[in-house]
Amino acid sequence: MKASLSLLKRSVWKGPHVVPLPIADAIKNKTPIRTNARSCTILPQFVGIRFQIHNGKEYVEVEITDDMVGSKLGEYAATRRRFMYKYSKN
Amino acid sequence: MGVHIFGKSIKHNYLVRIGLSKAIFGIGYNTAERICAKIGIYPQMRMNQLTEPQIMDLNKEISNMLVEGQLKQKINNDIKLKRDVGSFAGTRHALGLPVRGQGTRNNANTAKKLNKLERFRI
Repeated sequence: MKASLSLLKRSVWKGPHVVPLPIADAIKNKTPIRTNARSCTILPQFVGIRFQIHNGKEYVEVEITDDMVGSKLGEYAATRRRFMYKYSKN
Repeated sequence: MGVHIFGKSIKHNYLVRIGLSKAIFGIGYNTAERICAKIGIYPQMRMNQLTEPQIMDLNKEISNMLVEGQLKQKINNDIKLKRDVGSFAGTRHALGLPVRGQGTRNNANTAKKLNKLERFRI
């Protein structure tokens, strides 16, 4: 009933937000792409490629699957850890 | 006393569009108005004024839509998919915390109540 909802996210003329990434190399050499561009939209061409996505501290390795298309790279590299109380020896 | 539509009993003095939206999960005011318009029920009609064929039409129309159990199942599956894929939204559901960037310093009570992997028990 609301088929247009997905269009309300972003102007069509802009297209999806994508940054230039060495995808051709990654497909050829099967090397992971190391990137800081967390806001880059996942395109169908990315499926099967491994990414190392920056989470603010280190690079998290993620393999892109079909279900991830349309979301952003940053969704798969969590930036926060749950607080755990550590017992200290004293 | 009630009128039975789609297995639900609706009070006989409700307006049809409001009764539908109150009784059936997945139908709101807008959808109910649209259904009524499609079948040819005028907006001020009450539940007890419905004739038998009109009730049949309503049932037929609603059974073609994604409502009640099927809709709940779909919502559960969507949350589960996000969890399995390992996305941020999925983890937030699993933790019972807000999904869309709201603060958690205090409150966040609605999220703690609702955000679960199995949102609706069927």
